[in-house]
Amino acid sequence: MTILENILLAGLIICAAAAPLCKRLLATVIVYLAFSVILAVLWSMLQSPDLAITEAAVGTGISGILFFLTLKKIRALKGTRDE
Amino acid sequence: MLEAIVQNRFAVVAVILFGIGLLNMMLQQNLMKKVIGFSIMDSAVFLLLASLGYIEGHGAPIIDEGSVNASLYINPIPSGLVLTGIVVSVSVTAFSLALIQRIYQRYGTIELHELLERAKKEED
Amino acid sequence: MSDGREKSAWRRFADWVNGDSEPIDRTTQYVMNRRPPRQEEPPELHEQRERLRLKKFLGLYPLAAGFLCVALIAILFATVIYIPPFGQPGNPTNNEVSRHYLEYTEEETGATNAVTGMILSYRGFDTLGESCVLFLAVSSVMMLLQRDKNNTDEQTLHRLRREDAIERTHPDNILRKSAKLLTPFILLFALYVLFNGEISPGGGFSGGAILGGGLILYSSAYGPEQLSRLLTRSLYDTVRITGLMAYALTYGIYIFAGANGIKLEMEWMMIVIDLAVGLVVACTIYGFYTMFQRGKV
Repeated sequence: MTILENILLAGLIICAAAAPLCKRLLATVIVYLAFSVILAVLWSMLQSPDLAITEAAVGTGISGILFFLTLKKIRALKGTRDE
Repeated sequence: MLEAIVQNRFAVVAVILFGIGLLNMMLQQNLMKKVIGFSIMDSAVFLLLASLGYIEGHGAPIIDEGSVNASLYINPIPSGLVLTGIVVSVSVTAFSLALIQRIYQRYGTIELHELLERAKKEED
Repeated sequence: MSDGREKSAWRRFADWVNGDSEPIDRTTQYVMNRRPPRQEEPPELHEQRERLRLKKFLGLYPLAAGFLCVALIAILFATVIYIPPFGQPGNPTNNEVSRHYLEYTEEETGATNAVTGMILSYRGFDTLGESCVLFLAVSSVMMLLQRDKNNTDEQTLHRLRREDAIERTHPDNILRKSAKLLTPFILLFALYVLFNGEISPGGGFSGGAILGGGLILYSSAYGPEQLSRLLTRSLYDTVRITGLMAYALTYGIYIFAGANGIKLEMEWMMIVIDLAVGLVVACTIYGFYTMFQRGKV
């Protein structure tokens, strides 16, 4: 269990460091969502299932939708149907 | 010292994440990336708080009928605080994203340099 | 002269402290309103100097910011080494408060999930304030993004109409079919999480978030009109305000009864508070989505 925990913690740091270094904003948002998923798994390993459910629903689903809608509004999604 | 770092690995990771988020917030020129740095800082604080309530070998705080023994479960207080915090952090993110949309409508860019230039040009 | 000006400045300061707003005399107003003397030098020289100043600032700022961050992280690291070891039962955070919550939650609030019992009854004021934060957040997002005739030009309307026409003529079949299949189950799961939060992981926040997610899935698959015919603006506002009001009222009764030693059945109160929080969270999330998507509920 400790090994898995350490891998997840390393993944958190890698995702957090990589997210803002991506050139495209879409990639940034997707890496940030991966960060949230790892965090949700970590909550369940810290024996807080309430937090895991909330993080999976809110941090990954809802904030992902909000980020994507904002990207659409600021025309940062190249190659979609609108462009 | 190395032992302390390994033992408090959650706190160390929280500090590193906080630093990454703060650096991004201060140094990035793109407003979206600033918001993401802010969210990373939020998550770092939550990670530190939730790790403070964890107790090795104890279970989730859902109490079995009949066996009310406090030494079987983890501390529920940090979980409750973080639970409210996660939802509030999402609403703060949504509010900043709405501000970004308005800024884009007004100035046509979300890069801070260009934004400052255009705002200054309009002011003159 | 300088003495007199200083005196008047002091008096102005004293008036400001006392709250007497006295109009500034004309000379100071003139001095304060005057822009820096720009016509004395040629404009391009001024511009060049400004640009140099900005460049200097932009060169210095990353260094200062980086130094500040590194110093802060060093301080935090020095603190982390001295905090008590991770996961030990004797840590100062695991004190008698948490022991009380764990031992008496079921008896005092009727919830077996200590986290839900704690945030909905012991720390109910905290959650009430947090619901108010959500309410205010969605209100301010509405202020920023709501579309009416003052901030919408013909071009945007045309673009929106074109997007709607594309949506109508080219429906996404995979999305529609899967949304039709999944939405009832998502809503059912949300209600399960919402009402079962007292005896299993879940509760108002997660249940409300899943409820909002189900609404968003349906709305994005079938177009915004389909859902907004069912969930109109007035209904949406009613649900939002009723949720917050029901929370405040129920928790007020709860606190009043507890303070005066009146014995009341607590079970239904927990469910009402749970439902109120869930409705507020679901409305907040759905409101964010519709505001971001098209600027009206």
